[in-house]
Amino acid sequence: MITYPRWLDRDTGKEPVLRLLGIGNAGVNIADRIAVRASLPLETVALNSDQQSLNASVASQKTALGPMTTHGLGASGDPEMGLEAARESMSEMRQSVQGADVVFLCAGLGGGTGSTATPQLAELARANGSLVIAVVTSPFQFEGRRRSQQAKDAMASIARHADAVVHFENDRMAEIVAPRTEAEETFAACDDILFRSVASLTRLISCPGPMAVAVPDLLGVLRGEGGAFLFGSGEADGGNRAHEALEQALRSPLLERGKLLHEARKVLVHLSGPRSLAFAEVAAIMQEISRSTSPTALLHLGVSVARDESAPLIVTLIGHCGTASHGEKAASIPAAEPVRSSPPTLVAEESVPPTPSASTVSEQAPSKVIPLKVKQENLPLDPIDRGRFEKVEPTIVEGEDLDVPTFLRRKLKR
Amino acid sequence: MAREKIHVGMEIGTTKVCAVVAECRRDGEMRILGVGESPSRGVRKGEIVDFKNATQCVHDALADAEDRSDYEIKSVWLAISGSHIKSLNNRSSITLPEETTITAKEIESVEFKAKEAGIPKEDVIIHSVIQRYYVDGQEGVIDPQNMMGSKLEADFHIIHGVTNRIQNAIRCVREFDIDVEDIVVNSVASAQVVLGEQQKQAGAVLIDIGGGVTDYIVYRSGAVCHSGVIAIGGDHITNDLCIGLRIPITRAEKLKIEEGSAITSNIPAGDKITLKNDTGFSGKDIDRQMLNMIIQARLEELFTIIHKRIQEVVPERLLGAGILLTGGCSLLRGIREVAESVFPGTPVYLAHAQSVSGPMSAFENPQLSTCIGAAKYAQAVHAEMPEESILDRLKGFLSGRI
Repeated sequence: MITYPRWLDRDTGKEPVLRLLGIGNAGVNIADRIAVRASLPLETVALNSDQQSLNASVASQKTALGPMTTHGLGASGDPEMGLEAARESMSEMRQSVQGADVVFLCAGLGGGTGSTATPQLAELARANGSLVIAVVTSPFQFEGRRRSQQAKDAMASIARHADAVVHFENDRMAEIVAPRTEAEETFAACDDILFRSVASLTRLISCPGPMAVAVPDLLGVLRGEGGAFLFGSGEADGGNRAHEALEQALRSPLLERGKLLHEARKVLVHLSGPRSLAFAEVAAIMQEISRSTSPTALLHLGVSVARDESAPLIVTLIGHCGTASHGEKAASIPAAEPVRSSPPTLVAEESVPPTPSASTVSEQAPSKVIPLKVKQENLPLDPIDRGRFEKVEPTIVEGEDLDVPTFLRRKLKR
Repeated sequence: MAREKIHVGMEIGTTKVCAVVAECRRDGEMRILGVGESPSRGVRKGEIVDFKNATQCVHDALADAEDRSDYEIKSVWLAISGSHIKSLNNRSSITLPEETTITAKEIESVEFKAKEAGIPKEDVIIHSVIQRYYVDGQEGVIDPQNMMGSKLEADFHIIHGVTNRIQNAIRCVREFDIDVEDIVVNSVASAQVVLGEQQKQAGAVLIDIGGGVTDYIVYRSGAVCHSGVIAIGGDHITNDLCIGLRIPITRAEKLKIEEGSAITSNIPAGDKITLKNDTGFSGKDIDRQMLNMIIQARLEELFTIIHKRIQEVVPERLLGAGILLTGGCSLLRGIREVAESVFPGTPVYLAHAQSVSGPMSAFENPQLSTCIGAAKYAQAVHAEMPEESILDRLKGFLSGRI
């Protein structure tokens, strides 16, 4: 079910369209994962120059890039060829970003297709007025210097157009798994982290909650200059879920087992859970996190509540441990970030639908919209017989007043 | 005759206030010297609702205990209960610097961390009971002291209650310049004397049904894994009878004790109990079937609630020692049969304080299990190293230290 983020609701009143574009082989992988596993309000689009990968994909839309240029065989790591393919399919690419309010771009940089098409798509989506968040990976070091240079160039041009870039280094992600793990499992684990980060970003933007995250806050955290991107996510249910979910999130390799959290200057914590999520649990988690962060760090908290009663508690930590002295990487992101004309906000007050003035109007003029009067009906109960417990605090277990004789409640007599 | 250390256990119950004076020998033996009792007034559902009356009852019970034991009471160990008492299991972990040996200090800090569990602000932790330790993920460590490791984890069972409500009970005793050494939750106190070590290891549930509240505690593999309080007790049965049979409350109480049973089968139809007329009461014939049905329904419901809660934490097959019923309400005829029907396949026993000596009438009375248990708890605490009492913590809490 798609819910209404308030900043979008205010302008158009229609459902926000969140779209995930998987570009290149790695990107299509992520799009597939999202399409198969998560019940997220996300449209998935696979874009690739490799026809085979597109055929296997389960994304809801598929777009072939440069069918003439590459003959559907892929760009084979050649950025020249990738660029040509992208140029050939410009209109298809434009179409793929059309009408989306939020665009996630997922790609593995360093190859032919992802490195070249992603910046272009970012530019196109930005021109459409969408919020653009790129989730990219940089290649393993052993893939050679040329690839990493290509990735670096691509990063720089993506950063110019996207609102935020979430950057994962494959090298760091490979540390997740035990050294002797099979290669396939290692890649799957890397994909899984990407998948989780996209899933939690989507939840963060789309799920309603008692404490929504303001988009500027999110971008502020994502846009941190230089340094390493921190991401941890954990989910658990059961009695000890708060502790377990947080523990799992902190164990994330991208936090270096919680150590990096100490260095983070901005941390966004998002909790998503079923309605039974207790305030005490939220407080306990925040307390635990604030213990692991530095006292000067800025903490943003978001809480959203799923309609599904059996939903697990998901804790997501996003942060940036940038140091200003981190010159080299800071340079890769342009200093003059173009400012959006209307910064979208997810301010809580906007969720109150009837403004006070509107209700007074309706009282004066009944022809106008009359608020639906919900009449609370009395339950067909006899006056409750509590006897000597009339004046003491009632014993309520699972919503039943146990001070009333059992035999009356069960209608065993009369 | 040189007397050994004497501890006084006290309980301000819904039905009665009692104090047990017990002599505790160093070898762990305990002998009851005297029991003081007073019918309770001003207490509902285990909590004080009328301070003045309750204080008077505390005074009477203490004076009675002093008389009978020939001992001047200076301090007591107070058993408390009430629906505000809740419990949770919490795991805490600390990361140790490079290859350290675990000492008492580390164990203390892991316990300290466990106590930071998310309990409401107005609450105070009454007990934190260790369940098990893990060293570097190795399960089932009983005592991690002197072990090497880089990560120490511990599961704690934490029992907490509302500070102010606990304070009320303590103030009641303090009125007479008698010190409260420490407080203990009813279920923990009862378990001290009713359950043996073997039963705790085999897995057992202790259900203490009192006048106003029912306390229960679950042991699994020797450790507390669940505990709780339900504000239902014998008073509720009396009240049910009062409403259902339309008789005065005092008559209902008497009828419950003299004739009441929870067995509804094999009652000849039309079996009546005749209540004689009295001032303000014109006498009445009571249908036995009706009487027992009301009692049975209430008890069955109570056991069903406990059954449901226990099921969530421990499967029935792990309750090798079964279910032990104690407290005043366990004297009710047929209660064992009702419990057996709710917990199928689990043995149910009626239990009272064990491994104490003294007047038989004292320790064989399940009504006194909690009170004797409070004295036993005192002995157990004294046997270990002296630690900061709950009162210091309460004081600290009040002065804003915590």
